[in-house]
Amino acid sequence: MILVVLENQRGNIHAFSKEAVVAGQQLSEKLGLDLSILCLGENASSLREQASDYSAKNLILAQHDLINSYSADGYSKALAQVISELSPKYVLMGHSYMVRDFLPRVSAKLDIPFVSDIITVDYNSDSPIFSRQVFNAKLATKVEATSDTVLLSFQSAAFSSDGMQIGGSENQSDFSVNLEASDIKSQSEAEFQESASGVDLTTAELIVSVGRGIESQDNLPLVESLASAMGAEIASSRPVVDMGWLPPYRQIGSSGQAVSPKLYLSVGISGAIQHVVGMKGSKTIMAINKDEDAPIFEIADYAVIGDLMEIVPKLTEEIQK
Amino acid sequence: MKIAVLTKAIPSYESSIRVDSSGSWIDESVVNFVVNESDSYALEEALQIKEKLNDDTEVVVVIMGNENNTSKVLKDGLAKGADRGIFINNENIDTDPLSIAKLFSENLKEESFDLIFSGLQSDDLGSGQTGVLIGELLGMSTATLGIETKMEDGNIKVKRELESGWFQWVTLPFPASISIQSGINEPRYPSLKGIMGAKRKDVKSLNISSSGDNKQKFIELFIPKTEKVTERITGDVDSIVARMLDILKNTLKVI
Amino acid sequence: MKFHIIEQIALVAFLFSGISFFLYQLLLRLKIVLKGKLDFSIEDLPKRLLRVFDEVILHKKVASGKRKSAGILHAFVMYGFIFFGLITINHFLTAFDLYIFNDTIRKNYFYFFGAPWAILCTTGILGLAYRRFIIKPETLGKFSATSALVTVFITTLMITYLIDEIHHLNPFMNNPGAKINWWLHSGVIGGFLFLIPKSKHMHLVLSPFNIFLRPFEVPSHPPIPIDLEASEEELDELLLDLSKLSKDQALDIFTCVECGRCTDVCPANRGGGILNPKYHFILDLKDPMLESNDVNVVDKINVEAGWECTTCQACTEVCPVGNHVEKADAIRSFQVMVEGDVPQEYQKLLRNLQETGNTEGASSSELLQRMPEYTPDKELVLWLGCFAKHAMDPNFVKSVENFTKILDSAGVTYGVLSNEQCSGDPANKLGDKLTYQMLMDNNVEELNKVKRVTTMCPHCVVNLQKEYSKYHDIKYEVKHHTQVINELLEEGKININPGSLEKVTYHDPCNLSRTLDEVDGPRNAIKAAAPEFFELDESGKDTLCCGAGGALWWKKDTGEGRTHLLRAEQVIESKTDTVVTGCNFCYGMMNQGIGPLTPADQDKIEVKDVADIVAENIS
Repeated sequence: MILVVLENQRGNIHAFSKEAVVAGQQLSEKLGLDLSILCLGENASSLREQASDYSAKNLILAQHDLINSYSADGYSKALAQVISELSPKYVLMGHSYMVRDFLPRVSAKLDIPFVSDIITVDYNSDSPIFSRQVFNAKLATKVEATSDTVLLSFQSAAFSSDGMQIGGSENQSDFSVNLEASDIKSQSEAEFQESASGVDLTTAELIVSVGRGIESQDNLPLVESLASAMGAEIASSRPVVDMGWLPPYRQIGSSGQAVSPKLYLSVGISGAIQHVVGMKGSKTIMAINKDEDAPIFEIADYAVIGDLMEIVPKLTEEIQK
Repeated sequence: MKIAVLTKAIPSYESSIRVDSSGSWIDESVVNFVVNESDSYALEEALQIKEKLNDDTEVVVVIMGNENNTSKVLKDGLAKGADRGIFINNENIDTDPLSIAKLFSENLKEESFDLIFSGLQSDDLGSGQTGVLIGELLGMSTATLGIETKMEDGNIKVKRELESGWFQWVTLPFPASISIQSGINEPRYPSLKGIMGAKRKDVKSLNISSSGDNKQKFIELFIPKTEKVTERITGDVDSIVARMLDILKNTLKVI
Repeated sequence: MKFHIIEQIALVAFLFSGISFFLYQLLLRLKIVLKGKLDFSIEDLPKRLLRVFDEVILHKKVASGKRKSAGILHAFVMYGFIFFGLITINHFLTAFDLYIFNDTIRKNYFYFFGAPWAILCTTGILGLAYRRFIIKPETLGKFSATSALVTVFITTLMITYLIDEIHHLNPFMNNPGAKINWWLHSGVIGGFLFLIPKSKHMHLVLSPFNIFLRPFEVPSHPPIPIDLEASEEELDELLLDLSKLSKDQALDIFTCVECGRCTDVCPANRGGGILNPKYHFILDLKDPMLESNDVNVVDKINVEAGWECTTCQACTEVCPVGNHVEKADAIRSFQVMVEGDVPQEYQKLLRNLQETGNTEGASSSELLQRMPEYTPDKELVLWLGCFAKHAMDPNFVKSVENFTKILDSAGVTYGVLSNEQCSGDPANKLGDKLTYQMLMDNNVEELNKVKRVTTMCPHCVVNLQKEYSKYHDIKYEVKHHTQVINELLEEGKININPGSLEKVTYHDPCNLSRTLDEVDGPRNAIKAAAPEFFELDESGKDTLCCGAGGALWWKKDTGEGRTHLLRAEQVIESKTDTVVTGCNFCYGMMNQGIGPLTPADQDKIEVKDVADIVAENIS
């Protein structure tokens, strides 16, 4: 059995979990194993509803009063019970902060391996081989896991939720979890947000970064609306901050923050070395610049050669559609 | 209170990382080993707790690996103010987080630490599991991604970083194993007195051999595609924007 | 005028108490000064005396730059005081019916010195008062009661003197009037004895000595050798020493005249930083010294201000009373080695130095690998320095190549040292003397095997030569590449053709001009190549720091402060076509600053090293 565990994110299925379902569907198909989806703990019934059309063999609900809100103690114990009972070959989740928090506990409880933050799965051997990044993504490694049950977590975007197979589940069942109040040692308070004064760009997935090519502070809203249309954080190179157009915590580079988002869209940045060191780790770099010899293009995946004043508003408009 | 801080010596970010002849590990001879970044925040947090409590709290730096790679990092921890060190001498290269955690917990069990701090993840293997695994193995409560800690009514309260700007306070009873996020404090620099004093501090060396019971292992290390193939997008505005949209939507799937 | 015995007793008592108070206060301060570490040096006596002559008698520093007129007014007051010295003794003697001047001498002295200088001195003090109380230059600080009092005192002194002398020559008052005038004059002189020691007017007494004793080296940071095998007691002593000022620094603080010139020229202050050297490096320490009766006041230096300092030495260069103003070295050494409190970006830098021997933490250098290696048959060691070696400004690699082109064309053989490590300048400037020593020991061992070294980095020159020799017996000689170029030019080994008619100016690097005293060498070379050479507003030893000194190149940019942009702005305003510099850090800062700051309607100014402009125009 392949077991995918869905994660609740403030009432919805976590985006990473959808990707994990896609991974699960692929594993199930390649290995000829049944796919089960587990809705665990907090908000589980709602998750089951949201997942009702995901193509799977089983859709399982595991609830208990003591895991109506997340705790590493409760979740790890509950999931360990499910795994012991169902003996899945692989247990899949997205590599979220919650997974980092409790899945290793399951690994230790059951003495089974947890291969985390996987980027690709290779089926050319007897058993699947998982690739993950190591040494700050300078290298990657192929990992082989040997155990009756293996825990897996996938890096965001390793699979795309667009590939989700729809069709619903054949069986729906409830799993009864056994927990006692003494199992839950830690106490969690409500989740909260803080005002976004000092934005931490290092965790941003999408960054739109603006440079001197913007020419004037009056043109800044062009880029700001592109960023908001994309759901991206706005950042900048040093000159823009020097001129006081954006606050210093928006600055990327040797004297600012170093970031490695999924997409770094640079707008009007020539690519001075002081800037490049702060963003060269980005997974994908798309750069817009008038000058086709701009150094930024040397490290860019996509070199957009053109006038940002024309391209940016047009692109924003298209995205908003 | 007894606080252990797990530190790891990892190749510095600037080091050149090459795969060695075995194909499953890196060539360590060209690598400069430094303390893992988030571990230095974990150590600072422990030292600050010790200073705040101002009692007989003991901070112990724990490090595993071979002597060559780790001695500088261990000394540095002592120079910064840890009271003593535990060096788990392991010549083997373990890549299975669970095996690593077992080695730690077996060797630390009898110390009965009240708190174990570790960095969020190591910047070499990057599994991010060790602190939590050890916590479970030693029957401790656990929390990860701590960005603030407070002592309160015989418990420790940890502010956890959640995703996309959300946070949560968690109260843990002792003993507890907590992983610390980078940036939580301002790690100190070893003072001259600290550096000189470190030489007189006690370091317990434990010689171990790994069990070899690795449930996951690296079968091949490789360099991910390094040469960037740059696609040049030119033409009139409409065609440029169309191509960009296509990439954002279909290739990168970010919108 | 006849004086009653009671008047005579009163006068003696008054002068005695004044002189006692004055001496007591003076000795109190001298006792504190003598608690300082390191002894005063009186080596190079003739040079020191000449310096006193230049700076005290000729007022070369007081009356320089923008403060020329204030300096001339000050000279009137000072000379007034000197000329009145003998008159004052004579004045008091008259109370006892004694004199050292007979009437004829007294008359002539009055006509030729006394009267004119009384008028000049009054003009001087009123002029200075006008400046202080009406113009109110910001750096003089807030309203100073003692300055006002001194104005009143000196003016009174001069007027009563004039009245007294005129009356003496040509009596026009009745006796009580003359007496009152006489006593008023005496009272003010006595008042000075009480006023001087507890105010900035102490400089009257101390500044000639302070100028005489001032160390020649700029900066004159004491070496801090660290023995890692030392006993605990020795270590404690070393740490205690780190909290102490030197004798020279202590004397500086009591000598300070509070003019604020150091703050006027401070790039950190001008760039909007909090650092105000007049207070943070000098006056903030005065009360703590008097209160503790000791010199262990380094911890009273504002830490944040200390980290802002570019260690450019402009403050020391400008000081009219001979102070070595900068205390960044003291407070940083204290913060790093005693407190272990170091900004994160600098910790990273220091770690890089410890672990890799270079500032960038790099494991190899492309430039180093492709340069010819030094062998004993070669004339020169070409010391690259981290900046060039690790392409901290990628354009600078070309400048290194241009320098090697010059050496090639002059037939000079050279090579690089494959195990060259950072000179340690950033560690030294950040106060991490342990890391510094590690790098230095390694470098000295290599360098003592060679004879002649040249480098394009003035920071490296300062360390390899001046700083290392404080700790080691060094057997090699280091020259900055601009000095080598200038020598080749003078020896006729290279010829430079006048280049294009574009406007060219030169930015003096602090380390080259102020510390290494090299102002003319680079100019000779540039002028040979650039017919349209002109000077920037602040040039030579009065240069303005580019902002990178004191390891601030690695400072994390918080977006606050414009220290790193000031000089680039000046260069842009000068409307030059090219700015030449002789330091890789200045080169990098110019490039970083000029790019974003150049207005849209102005062509971007080219930044060149001296080697570039020479290589481009070599024949």
